[in-house]
Amino acid sequence: MTSKVKRKLTEFLFLLPSLIAFLMVIIVPFILGIYYSFTDWQGTGAVSQSVGFANYAAIFKDAGFLHSFLVTLLFTVLNIITVNVVAFIISLLVTSEIRGRNVYRAGFFIPNLIGGIVLGLVWQFIFTNIVPSIGSSLGLPTLSKSLISNKDTVMFTMVTVNTWQYAGYIMLIYVAAIQGISKSVMEAAEVDGARYWTRVTRIQIPLMANAFTISLFLTLTNSFKMYDVNVALTNGGPVAMFMNKPVQASELLALNIYNTAFKYNNMAQGQAKAVIFFIVLTIFSIIQVSWNKSKEVEA
Amino acid sequence: MKKLISLVLAVAMMLTAASALADIVICQNKVEIGSIMEEYAKGYTERTGVPVKVITGGGSQDYNTVLKAEMASGREPDIFVIEGVSGYELWKDRIADQSDAEWTKTCTAPYVADGKIVGFPVAQEGYGLAYNKDILDKAGIDPATLTNYDAYAAAFEKLDSMKAELGLDMVVSMVAGTTNNMTWVTGLHNFNVYLSVGLERGDDTIINKLLQGEVDAERFHQYCQYVALLFKYSDPEMLLNGNQETQMVAFTSGKAAFYHQGNWMDPTIAQAGGIGFTAAYAPHAFLKEDTDGILTDAASWYVVNSKGNVDEAIAYLNALCGTDEGKEYMVDKAGMIPAFTNVEAKATDATPLTKSVVEWVNAGKTYSWQQYKMPDGFGMGTLGAIYELLASGAIDVDAFEAMMIEAIQGVKK
Repeated sequence: MTSKVKRKLTEFLFLLPSLIAFLMVIIVPFILGIYYSFTDWQGTGAVSQSVGFANYAAIFKDAGFLHSFLVTLLFTVLNIITVNVVAFIISLLVTSEIRGRNVYRAGFFIPNLIGGIVLGLVWQFIFTNIVPSIGSSLGLPTLSKSLISNKDTVMFTMVTVNTWQYAGYIMLIYVAAIQGISKSVMEAAEVDGARYWTRVTRIQIPLMANAFTISLFLTLTNSFKMYDVNVALTNGGPVAMFMNKPVQASELLALNIYNTAFKYNNMAQGQAKAVIFFIVLTIFSIIQVSWNKSKEVEA
Repeated sequence: MKKLISLVLAVAMMLTAASALADIVICQNKVEIGSIMEEYAKGYTERTGVPVKVITGGGSQDYNTVLKAEMASGREPDIFVIEGVSGYELWKDRIADQSDAEWTKTCTAPYVADGKIVGFPVAQEGYGLAYNKDILDKAGIDPATLTNYDAYAAAFEKLDSMKAELGLDMVVSMVAGTTNNMTWVTGLHNFNVYLSVGLERGDDTIINKLLQGEVDAERFHQYCQYVALLFKYSDPEMLLNGNQETQMVAFTSGKAAFYHQGNWMDPTIAQAGGIGFTAAYAPHAFLKEDTDGILTDAASWYVVNSKGNVDEAIAYLNALCGTDEGKEYMVDKAGMIPAFTNVEAKATDATPLTKSVVEWVNAGKTYSWQQYKMPDGFGMGTLGAIYELLASGAIDVDAFEAMMIEAIQGVKK
C-alpha cells in the first residue's frame, strides 16, 4: 500500500463516523420522504400502493396549503425586515459608549435562550389577557380584544414574538461585524468630518455586508421554517376565509405540513408538501445568498 | 483474574439490562387523571415489582400525535389508548387479542373487533349541558323541562335578561377556539348531538350517512339552529380565547349558568376547589320534539401492543378491575364510571358531574357516541374551523349550515 493511498484511507476512516450519521439522519430520511410522497402511506404499516403525482396535484387544490404558503411568505418578509432592523439598531447601541452596554447585550440575547413553546405560551397569555386589560382601561377598542383571535392582527403578534426572540441572536452577529471594522477607518472618517449617520451608512454597513448575508440567510430560513412559536402562540388560529373555504389564518407551512401528516393522518400528502417546502426554501435561499454576496466588499 | 471480573461485570450488566426490559409503558390521553394514574402505577410497582411508566398526552396536546411519536421512538408503549374505529384501524397490526383475559368476564363494554376482544374500556363518560341548579332555581327555571329547542330558547332568554341580578357574565360557558385547541368541544362532542340524540343506542344511521357524504337535511337544519342558540348566549371572548381552565372557572365561580363539558372535568374541578352549588346535566335537546337523555359511552379503550410485554400488560389490566387497589383507583381516586359488573360506580357529591351521569345511566336515558367514527381530523379540524367562524361572527347560521354540508359532502372521496 503506497503512503498516498494509506493517507486517503485514514482520512476516509476519520470522516466515516460523521458520514454515517449524516447519511442515517439526513440523506436516508430525505430519500424515503420523497418516495413516500408518491404513495398513499398512512404513517403506520407498509406502503400499499403508489399513486404517482396525485398527492402533488391535490396540494395545489388545497386552499389551506395555498393560504399557508402566502401567509408564510408574508411572515417571512415582515420578519426579515423587523428582526434585522431591530437587531442592527440594538447592535449599534451596544457597541456605542453607552453605560451598561454589557448588561444590554446579555438582556437582548436572553430571549433567544428561552424555548419557542414556552415563549409562545407566555406571549399568548400577554396578548389574550394583559394587553386587552390594559387596552380596555385606556379605552382603546382595538387593543381591548385579543389580538390573537383577530385574523387581521394575528400576524402582528407572531412577528412581534419572533422579533423579540430572534433579534438578540442576530444582534450578536452584527456586533461581531461592527467590532471587526478597524478603528482607524472610523477615526479617519471622523477626523474628515463625517457625521455619525454618514459613518454608519457609508462605512459600517458596506464593510459588514458579509454579516448581512449570513443574518438575512438565518432569518429567512428561520422564518420560513417557523413552527414552535406558531404552534404555541396561535396554533394556526383564528379561522379565516380563503378561496371560499375556511382556512387557518396564521398557520405557517411547517404547521400545515405537521397537521396534514399527524392531525389528518395523511402522511403521504404531508410528505409531498414537505418536498415542495424544501424546494421553495432552497430556491429562495440561493437567490438571497447570491444577491447578498454580490454586495459584499473588501475593506 | 482480571478477565474473570470483567466477564462477571459484563454478564451482570446484561442481566440488569434484560430485566429492565420487562416493564410496562402506558401511553394514555387523560391529562386530568395523569398524576393519579402515576400514583397508582407506583403502588402497582411496589406490590408486583413490575416497573410502570405512564406517558400522558391529550387536553391541549393532541394525544394521537404523542402516541405516534412514542411508537416511532423505538420503545413502543405496551398499553395505549384507542378512541374507537379510527384508532383501531390505524394500529390494528399491533393490537393484541385479549379474548382470554380475566377482565373480559365482567366487562360490559369491551372493544370488539373482528370477533376478538381487544379493548379494555377506560371508563364510561358522559356529557350533556351541565347546569347550576341554584341559578336556575333563582330564575324560576325547572331543568326537567329542558327537553326541546323551544324550552332552551326560552330559558336562555330569561337568564340573559336576569344576568345582572343573578351575577352572570354569560349564560353558557362554551369554547370553540382553534388557538387553544378547543375545537374538540364543538367539532366532536357538540357535533355528536346531531349524530346521536334521539336515536336508539348503537343506531348508526346518521353517522353512516355522513360517511357517505350526506346529511339528514331537516335534522341538520334544526341542529344548526341549536348551535347558533348556544353561541348566541355564550361569551364571544370565551368562545374564541377560552381554554379548559377559564371555561371551567366561569361555571364553578357562578358566572355562567350552563357549562358545555363532560364528567371528565370532575377531578380538575375538585383540584381547583370544587363547586359550592348543585350541578347536574340537562340533555342536549336540539330538536323541536322532546328528547330526554345525555350522551354517554366508553370513549376510549386500553389496548395491548402485541409487540410489547403482552403478559405483563394484561396482568396490569386484570389488576385494574380485579383488585381492591385497582377498584379504588378507578372509582374513588379517578372518579370514573367503570364498565364492569364487579366494580360498582360511586356517585358522591365530591364528583357532581359524574353523579349526574350515573343517575342518567341508571335511568336508562342515554345516547351513544358516534363522533369517533368520523375520519381523522375531520371533526376537530375541518368542522371545528367552521364552528369558529360562526363563533367569531364571520358567518351567519345559514352560511354555517351551507359550509358544514359542503364539508360533509367532502367526506366521501
